[in-house]
Parts: sequence; structure tokens; C-alpha cells
Amino acid sequence: MSVRLRAERRARLAAAMAAEGVDVLIVCGNPWRSDYLRYAAGLTPTFGHVFALIEREGRVQVVAEHPLEAARFQSEQPDLRVSWSLSPIEAVETAAHSFSRRRIALAPLAAIPYRLAVGSFASSMSSATAMLDRLMLRKSPLEVDALRRAATLADEGYAVFREAARVGRPEYALVADVEAFFRSRGCPENFQILASGGKEVRGMHPPTERRLSPGDLVTTELTPCVDGYYAQICRTLVLGSPSETQLRAFAVYDEALAAGVAAVRPGATAGDVARAQNEIFRRDGLGDYVTSEYTRVRGHGLGLYVDGRPALLEDVALVLEPEMTLVVHPNTYHPEVGYIVHGDSVRVTADGCEVLTRTARSLFSVPAG
Amino acid sequence: MRAAGFGATLIYTSFARPSAVAWLTHFVPYWNEGLLVVLPAGAPLLLAAFSKRMHGWIRSVSHVGDVQSVQQLGKAAADVIEHLPVSSRIGVLELDALPWPVAEPLLNSRHGAALTDATELFASIRQPADDTEISLAQRAADISLKALGSIPSGATHASQVLAAIERSARLDGAEEVLARLAPDLAAGTALQRAEGDSMLGGRYAVELSLAYKATWVRVARCFSANAPQSWSEARRWTSDWATRITGASNGPPPGNIAFWSLEACIGSQPFSVVASAIGPRGTVFAGTLACFSIQLQLPDGPWLGSGTVVVGGREPGRVLID
Repeated sequence: MSVRLRAERRARLAAAMAAEGVDVLIVCGNPWRSDYLRYAAGLTPTFGHVFALIEREGRVQVVAEHPLEAARFQSEQPDLRVSWSLSPIEAVETAAHSFSRRRIALAPLAAIPYRLAVGSFASSMSSATAMLDRLMLRKSPLEVDALRRAATLADEGYAVFREAARVGRPEYALVADVEAFFRSRGCPENFQILASGGKEVRGMHPPTERRLSPGDLVTTELTPCVDGYYAQICRTLVLGSPSETQLRAFAVYDEALAAGVAAVRPGATAGDVARAQNEIFRRDGLGDYVTSEYTRVRGHGLGLYVDGRPALLEDVALVLEPEMTLVVHPNTYHPEVGYIVHGDSVRVTADGCEVLTRTARSLFSVPAG
Repeated sequence: MRAAGFGATLIYTSFARPSAVAWLTHFVPYWNEGLLVVLPAGAPLLLAAFSKRMHGWIRSVSHVGDVQSVQQLGKAAADVIEHLPVSSRIGVLELDALPWPVAEPLLNSRHGAALTDATELFASIRQPADDTEISLAQRAADISLKALGSIPSGATHASQVLAAIERSARLDGAEEVLARLAPDLAAGTALQRAEGDSMLGGRYAVELSLAYKATWVRVARCFSANAPQSWSEARRWTSDWATRITGASNGPPPGNIAFWSLEACIGSQPFSVVASAIGPRGTVFAGTLACFSIQLQLPDGPWLGSGTVVVGGREPGRVLID
């Protein structure tokens, strides 16, 4: 992870802690929710619980659950005080008690373990999580740069995916090619789900052993990570020539994506962006297919987490501001052809947005023979 | 559960903590969360934060009774167990670690006072591994060895190593591939999560943790164009040591032991430390499927190794991969 990025974030965090009157921030994380730890301490767990006790003045104490993780963190950041414990939660409790009389806060809500949450810092959880959320929503130029590089990698990864998608190959082989490509480019992780088939497909999932067949729609969502920041692209391809029905269906998604991207601007809400996409479906009599029965969200925030705030749903009132980063994706089921995905990563600018992913917005076709 | 007087046991699952629910149902939630409700009789109920349209996929990859899509896992679980007598004890695997958004509604439910940590109970039944799990681990071990064997002999950068491992392992069906590298053993033995790229030193090490059908194994190897004789001796000693890891010593190692640990799946995580250089966590059953890690300081430099073993009892254990 970039040393400059880490230093920048540490400074922003210290300022926020001072403004909130927090002396010591305890940040919890694990391989599933590592985003807050990445932001606050530059740590990315691969196994077990990890806790960072961050003093406003800059001292950081880390407690890991696994000894080799502790050794890694110490190697990555020699200035940290790192230890490991078979009972890391208990170890954090003990460490926190050494900060007597100092104002301690605990975050993030999503990863705080029960035992710490029922302790004496419980009242701080919501405000400390909100403090970090505010810091993580608007990106600095260095953060945007990482996202741009991730978006470029997403485009390149999708080109690899198109080459990999051939009749007879199992879904997991496509992921093998894409993941190998990302590792070859120094990208440590990628969130990817996909699907293949026809009208029976209702959503994407991790790869299965299903082998691709002529006429399949093959959907994927690629989310490579660069310096901790994720960018996402969603595209759909057809094995063989697309049918008229597939092309007609795809046109709705393409128009919805364009409408969603056009709605991204400062002052608009997350709900406005979702609504702009959904109106296209409703206009074409597909309103049922933008409900939770068939789809989840119309996009979401991007940053240090693959599925960040805000969720793009019509009832989300969060107001967009410059330097927020999102993926806009009207992914849903179509009753005539099955599940289609189509989405791009964007950055909110002063008067609109910049689309970060550059892959053509097409229903791609690859040889079926 | 009957012996412990549990009216229900709740087991949380996520990408970070998939193993307990996977062991019971084969379900891994990947990018989401779930809570398994196990009653003393009948098939377990999976509460999942997935939308309903994902039920077909969930059913196709798991063995559960019912699947319910819910927005709040804890509240939904509280509703499911509401019919139980208020005196019923409710077991929760790793209660201390249960994420607060899941725990809070349970704590505030009529069974809040009855929540009981079920970690020791679960650990007491989780191992030893059965033949099916050992067979899956052996398959995962074979995938791992083949992946390490695919590393180009003239590799100069970490990215070449990682790309080769990833492609080989995933083409063989591995669903999770986590490789960490010590890119230059002359500079340090810390196994790093490669971000960006780095040059490889004359001697480097790779640790590969890999899941095949939710069964995890781990192996580590040192690499060099001119591997010293001491590495062969270290590997022989370690392989023998791993079969007796909970028993008598097999003679002095070919150097100083800088670190060792034994990890096994005894809860929700793929690997939990069950014994180490700083002392055991508890009883390690004979037949436990476990991963050992060791670092030796040899006369000509550091060496590290990991492997997967079926822990021995009166008889030596069986190394699946070293």
C-alpha cells in the first residue's frame, strides 16, 4: 500500500478524531470487513480478527489473532506495536483499560464483536463509525488515482474475460484466467461473480462447474483492487451472435445505465440515480424487474470496500458530493432473456461525473464455434 | 446440544468466518452473511442476507432445510426461536465475536439472557476429521502441490509466481487461493500479501492456503535456483516432526526453531491456532486435520515450511502435504 496514501489518511483521521474529541480509536476488522482497518491503519487482514488501537497522536497498537499475520503487519509497518493473541478480543479489552481517563471510541458497527460492544465504549460506536464513513466517502486525489488504476485494470480484466469465455469451458476456468491476469499485474485481490445460461439465470454467483453453451448470456462483475481501492465493471456477452430479443433487451439496460450516469452530479441523491435507471425499465413495462424480487441495488459506493456506501436505491437520501466514487449498474433479470448486467465506475465531479471504466457499452459477442 | 440443554444453536457465517456453517451445510456466503439456526432435531434453517432470487443457487450448493431471506439476521433468528421456552439455553458459536448488528437484536429478545457461548461445545465435536473431509483435504493438497509446481523455474518477480499459482489452482477447481510470499529470504521471513510487484531474491518462500469444496489446506515451500543441502534435511526433519507434533520429539532439528504453530478448523475460521511455540490452546485430538507452520534458522540462512497433517495419537500422524 502506498506510504503516501497511508500518511495522508492517518493525518485526516487524526484531525477528525480531534474534532470529535476522540483520544483513542479502536478499529475492528477481518478479511470480510477490512475497509475501516485499511483506512485507519493501512492493514489488510487475510485470516482472523485484527484490531488497531489508534491514538490521536499517531501511536498505533495492533492485535492480531494469527502469529504470521502479526509478523506480516510488523514487516509492512515497523512503526506499529504488533502482537498476536489466541483471544484477541480479550487482549484488546485489556489494552483499552491501559488508556484510563482517555476518551475511547469503537468502530465500525458492522465488525464490532459482541464482547466489546457490551463494554464501556458502547456509546461511541455509532458516532465513531459515522466519523470514519464521512472520511471514506469523499476521495482525495491520491485515492482517486488508485481508483483510476483499478478501473483501468477492470477494463483490461474484462478483455481477458472475453477471451476466456468459450463454448465448453467451465465457469471456474474463466475466473482462473482473469485472476491469473490480475496477479500478473500485481493486483492482490478481485471480487468477481458471474453467471451463464439463459432465461433460467436469476443472478450471479461464484463460478460453478457449468460449461458454457452456444447462445448463453455470460454475465460478470469484475472488481479489482489497487492500493486497497476497488473499481468495478459489469458487462454481458453472448456466445455466438446475439438474437434480436437479446439485443432489444440489452438496449433497455444500456439506456438505463446512460440515464443513471447522467443523473450522477453534486446535489443529486443516491435515490435520484436509482430512480433514473428504474424509470427506463418502468417505461418499457419492466417495472416489476427493478424490485427486490429480481434485483438488489442499482449500484453502490466504491472505495476500500467492494460494496460501499451509498447503496443506489430509490429510498436512499444521501446527497452526492464531488469526489465520491460509485458504480452505476442497472443489473436485473429480464423476462425474455434472463439476467443482464451492465455497469461502470464513476467519480462525481464539480458538475457531473467522470466515467472511469472505458470498455465499450456493448452486448459483446464471442465465437460460439 | 441435547447434552448441553440447548434449545437452539446459532452459527454466524461470512467470507471471513465460513467454516462452521460450511462444515454443517456446505454453504459459503462469499460476499454476504448468514446465520444458521440449528435445532436439536430436523434440518438446519439458513437465514441469509441474500435476496430471494439467490435461493436457487444456495440450494444448489448446500444442504439445508429451509432458506429465508432476511434483512436483519439477529432479529430474524430471535423470531425463529421465539416459540422456545424462555428458560431454553441458546448456544451461539463464538458469542464474544458475533458482530454487533447481529448480536444486538438477540440480546434484546426474550432469550437475551439465555445466550450461551457454544464455542467449546462446537470445538469438541468438530475434530477429528472424517474420511470424507480428509479425502477433500488430500485433493486440495494435490491441487496445491501442482500449483506450486507450476511456478516458472526462472521466475524473477512475485507477480509471475502468483499468476502461475492462481491459474493452476483455479483450473483444478480451487475456490479460494491465498498466497503469501517472503520474496527475499535474505531480507526477511515475513510472509507478505503481495500488493504491486516485487523482485524475487536468490532464495524466496511461498505459502499457499487453498480451499477446495470449503476444505482448506496450507503448504509452504522455499525456492532457489541453487537450493542448499540443508533445505532437504530441514524438510525431512519437519515432515517427521509433523507426524509426531503432539508427541515425543524426533531428535534435534537441523538448526534453531524460530517459530512453529499448529492450526486446525475448530470453529468458524478455516485456521485457528491450536498449539504453538507459546503453548497449546487446548487438547488436540488424534485425527485432527491440521496445518503446521515452522521456521528454522539453519546455519546457512532461514528456512520455512508449512504442510497439512492428520494428527497422530499413539501412532504417528499422516502428512498429506509438506
